[in-house]
This record gives sequence, C-alpha cells and structure tokens, in this order.
Amino acid sequence: MDRAAKDIELLDRIGMDQIARNARARRRGQLGLGLIFMAPALLMVVGVLLVPVLFNIWLSFTKWKKFTGFGEYAGFANYERMPSNPFFNEAFINTAIWVGASVVFPIALGLGMAMFFRNLRGAETFKNIIFIPRILAPTAVGVLWFYVYAPDGLLNRGLGLVSGRDVDIGWLYNDATVTPAIIATFVWQTAGLVMVLLLLGLAAIPKDPIEAAHIDGANRWQIFRYITLPLLMPTLLMVTILSVLAGFTVFDLLWVMGANYPGQRSLALAVFMYFEAFQKGSWAFGSAVAVIIGLVVLCVTWLQTVLQARVDRMTR
Amino acid sequence: MKLKGKLLGTAVGVMLAAAPALAQEVQLFHDKGFWSEQLQAVGDAAGEATGVTIVETPYANAEQYKAFVQASIASGETPNMFTWWTGATFAELVSSGQIAALDDLWDEMIANGGYGEASKELFMVDGQAYAVPLLLARWVVLYNKPLYAELGLEEPETWDQLMANADAIVAAGETPFLATVHEGWRGFIWFQELMLRMHPEAYNGLNDGSVAYDGPEVRAVFEAWSDMYAKGYFSDPRSTEEFNDYVRGAGAMYLIGEWAAGLVVEAGVPADDLGVFIMPNAVEGAPAAVIVEGSPLVVSVDGAEDADTMEALRYWVSADGANTWGEQTGNYIGNDSANAPNAIVAEVNSDIAETGAAAYLRWWEAVPPDLQGELVAEMNRFMLDPTMETADDVMSTMQTLNAAYWADQ
Repeated sequence: MDRAAKDIELLDRIGMDQIARNARARRRGQLGLGLIFMAPALLMVVGVLLVPVLFNIWLSFTKWKKFTGFGEYAGFANYERMPSNPFFNEAFINTAIWVGASVVFPIALGLGMAMFFRNLRGAETFKNIIFIPRILAPTAVGVLWFYVYAPDGLLNRGLGLVSGRDVDIGWLYNDATVTPAIIATFVWQTAGLVMVLLLLGLAAIPKDPIEAAHIDGANRWQIFRYITLPLLMPTLLMVTILSVLAGFTVFDLLWVMGANYPGQRSLALAVFMYFEAFQKGSWAFGSAVAVIIGLVVLCVTWLQTVLQARVDRMTR
Repeated sequence: MKLKGKLLGTAVGVMLAAAPALAQEVQLFHDKGFWSEQLQAVGDAAGEATGVTIVETPYANAEQYKAFVQASIASGETPNMFTWWTGATFAELVSSGQIAALDDLWDEMIANGGYGEASKELFMVDGQAYAVPLLLARWVVLYNKPLYAELGLEEPETWDQLMANADAIVAAGETPFLATVHEGWRGFIWFQELMLRMHPEAYNGLNDGSVAYDGPEVRAVFEAWSDMYAKGYFSDPRSTEEFNDYVRGAGAMYLIGEWAAGLVVEAGVPADDLGVFIMPNAVEGAPAAVIVEGSPLVVSVDGAEDADTMEALRYWVSADGANTWGEQTGNYIGNDSANAPNAIVAEVNSDIAETGAAAYLRWWEAVPPDLQGELVAEMNRFMLDPTMETADDVMSTMQTLNAAYWADQ
C-alpha cells in the first residue's frame, strides 16, 4: 500500500469529513451569533446611513420638485444644471476658500500653541481654556459671535476704543468681510481641538532623536524642521483631513451668523443645498448637490488612506 | 387563562374608551409655533362648542414644514387639515390635486353675511376656492400718536403729507420709518408698498413676468427708495430688533401687517398711543388700495370627506371661532359678523369700507416661489447699501433671475 492510500484509509478511519462538517457548522453558528450581536449596530448603520444615502442618490436622478416628479427619472439633468447656476458657482468657490482656510489657520494656530504649551509648567489651565470653545454647540457659538460682530457689538466697540472714534463696520453684512469673519469664528472654535490632538502627537514622539540632535549641536528650528515635524506627520495628516472635512461640511455657523447676509445661499455648498431643497422645494436638485459634496468628501477620505499608508511607511 | 382574559378585557376597554376621543380630534398642522397656545385655545373652544377638538401640531420653521407637507403629498399621505401660503405657492399646492375645493362652504359663509367675495378671491385658483382664512391681514402703517401730537402732525392723506411728516420727524431728531433686513425676508416690504403707491398698474405685472425688474417702473421705485434713505427716513437696516425698536419709540412709523398691533400693545405700548393709516398713493387719482396678506387653512380631498374635519373647519370660520382667535391673537379672518379683534383692525375695516380700497396680494405670496428668496435677498442688498449704483446692480440681477424663470415656464 502506498503512502497516499494509507493516508486516505487513516482519514476514513478517524472520520475527517465529519470533523470538517462539524467545523463548518461551528463557524456558521458563530457567524449567526456574531450577526445577532451586531444587529443593533448594523440596523443603525443601514437604517440611518446607508438607506438615506442610497435614497438621496436615487432622488438626485428624479424630477422631484415640491409636489410633483417624485419617482420620475430625470437622468443627469440635475447635475447638468449645476454649472449654469451662478449661486452654485459662488458657493463652490466659497467652499474652496473654507476648505483652504479651515486647514491653514486652525493647524498653524494649533501647532503654534501646541509647541508653546508642550513643556510649559502650569499650562493645563490655558490648554483647558483654549479647548472650551470646542465643547460648545456650533449654533451657540454662532449666536455668540453674531453679537460680537453686530454693528454695536464687542468688536466694533473695541476697535472704537483703540482708534478713539466710532467704528461702524457691518462685519456680517458686507461681501468682503462676512466670510473672513465667520472663518475667524470657526478658527476660534476649532484651534483648541487641533492643539490637543497635536499635543498628543508630540507626546508620542520619542525623546532619543531629539536628545541626539541636541548633542550634535542642532538648534531649535533645525530640531523642529528635521525631527519633530516629520515625526508629527501622521498626526498632522489626520488633523488636516479632519479640517478639510469640517471645511466642506460647514453649515451651522453660516446658517446662524449669515442669516441677515443677502448672499447667504452662496456662502457654501451645504447652505446652497439647504436653500435649494428646503426653501425652493427642488428636492432632486438639492439631492444632486448633496451627492457632489459626498463624492468630494469620499475622494478626500480615499486620499487620506493613501497618504496615511505612505506616511506610515516613511516613519516606520 | 384568567390573566389572559383580564388583559384582553382591559385592552378592549381601553380601545372602547379611546375610540370616541380619537374620532373627535382633528389635527391642524402648521408652522406658526409662536401661535401654538392661541391655536390650541381655538381648538379647545371648538371641542366645547362642537365636540370636535382641533389639536394644533406645530413645525419649528417654514422650511421643515414645507418639507413635511411636500413629502406627505408626494407620497400620497396628505394631512387632513393644514395651513399654507396664498398666491403662487397656493396655486402650486392646489395643482397637486390633493386639496379639496371649498366652494360650498364659502357659499354658506357668504350667505350668512360674515364674509365678502373679496376675501374668497384670495383663496381661489382657476375659479374655485380651496381654503378658508387663517388670517387676513392688511399691511398698514402703525404710528406713534404722542410723537405725532408733539410735532403737530396729522395722519397723512396724501403722499406729500406723508413725506412732509417724515421731514418733520427727521428735523426733530427722530427716525420716521423702521425697516430692517433681519431674518432675510423683510426686504420686499417697502419695495412692494412703493411699487403699489407709485405704479399700481405695474404691481401685478411683476408677478406674471410682464413687468421687468429693471424697467422704468421699478427704477422709479428704487430712485424714490434711495432718496428716502438719503434723507434719513429709515432706521439702520441691520437692526435685529425692529419690533422692539417700535415699542421703544425708536421709529415713528412701522409699516407692517395689522397683526402686529396686538403684539405692540401686549409689549407695553398703550393702545391709545397707537395710530394707524393705510399708506397714501403717490400718484394722484390712483384708486385706493391696500396690500393684503392672506394665510389659508386647507383641507385635503380625504379631509373633506371626514365629517369631523369639516365640523372643525366650520367652527373656525364661524363668528365664535373668529372671536376666540381674535381675542387670542388680535388676528382678523375676514368675518365681519364677528367682533373686530382690536381698535386698529376696526379702524382699518372702517377706512376700507369708506374708501373701497382694492386688495392687492402681498408681493411675498404673489411672486413665483422659485424667485421669492433670491429676489428678496437682492432687495435686502439694496437696503444695506441704498445707493443707485447698488440699485442698478440689484435691478439687473433681479431681472436676470426673473427673465430666466419666465423663459423656463
């Protein structure tokens, strides 16, 4: 009897098929149990995320406007309308400005504060104070700053005290000042979170290379530029992506602070979408705008994954 | 078995007890949360008088409310009774085919002597009436009587008198008119009034595409408006407290719906200090006119088949219903067999009866809804920088939007 025949005979004797069948049944049972435990979360994700997203995508290809057109196929008509809408174009440009500003300013400020407070004794109180705006609801922050920027608000009064004359700037009413004013509020609210995240990133950097650089005679700038910054890159990348997403989806502040600004619908894509859908009842068109915002956010998330992998390889 | 029997008995008992209550309640959906208590007071009064209680169901804001109604109708689940807006928005709602015609009810209302044909016309689409009034507010000028007396001014009967009064008020260091862009929707208030007073023949044409927003009539309005700003007639358009500004005496005259009169008195202004007049025409010989804001109460086709819903609606338009609503809010619904809710409404009723003023639908409701928000934003833009340079830009943008809309119809 050759070796193979002996093996088969052995398997027959110990009932290998039965063992495999038992193992498969056990795996099926475990999968079923797992699904039961996961059911609440799965239902939540499917019910409040997946289904609405798919429904929204479907709506964007319909003619639904107010009371009619629900379920009537429109092809890509809603997407083709976008470039010819002047408010969409303005909103798109403003969103790009928001994305740029929400990356540059909170990170620059957050990084500066993180570096400053990193080894400072008794800095905990200041860190907490700087973080406080982040725990306030954006709507509450918007109302607060609406009054700071009011014609007779804190800012104009402060400028009046400094300049020694009456200052009457309508910060939230002028084309030139409304977006910078709201961005400043956004930075005020988010810089604290960025600082905390970067402080965590800084704390995770090993001390050895920094000490070695000190011994080699590197100055503070060189240490920051060639050691701290590269090692902080994974955290910085994560913060950047969060900031980009925040910039794309900003709504609350613009809704509250821009309420009296005549061009409010053009302040960002999210606001434009709300006006189209909820004010004008162009549900299908509003859904198409939401799909565009979603696609851009998806692209950014994908880019994050790619860059994260690259940075991980670099820092390994 | 015993326990099972007891549970079943209890369930049946609960159902039997609840059944009559459920059958005698009618939900009224609306977006006027600020009148929730008052609407419920009318609803409770309806319950006492007819056995059918109206249960008010508010939505937080107009956008959410529109979304709810539009989605309900699109999915064939139209609420039985709800509020809406008049004008082009109303015609759109009726075109859904889900709203019941109420001509028979209106025949009863007019035959009973409470309502006039003019009120009915505000709620008609293609020759049929589809709603009853939740509100019929004439847009008038409320004014500060003590200030008028102090400056020796008379209620203006002509445009020139009105302008002379404004000059006198400016000379006294006060602000003649309140006007603000607050909340984004108010920019049309002075635009519509100036349009009606200066070019009544073009007023309705703005809303059917036959009059251009950069045409000579609109230009004349912007020139007059800009001139009034230059003369210091208006308050700061950035004020977020227009109503309180009037209560505080920061403005002498307040162009607003007459529904504000009750609120002003409630806020502390003595009723005797509050005067009212309908804005005079700027064109000599033009017929008397007044702008009317109508808020419709509609029932769905299914609702019209429901006896309780119709019973509730009949109570709403009755003299008792109008009186309860008027006492609660100071609102007038066009029922002249009911008491006037306050002295201001009574005076406006009397002025209109005397002059035979024709009712013009408020621009906000009359303008195509797709243009409403974008055009009023432009008017707000002008108010924030009331120069003719901005006016030119505003008129051009408005006409571009207007032309594009009508080209698409």
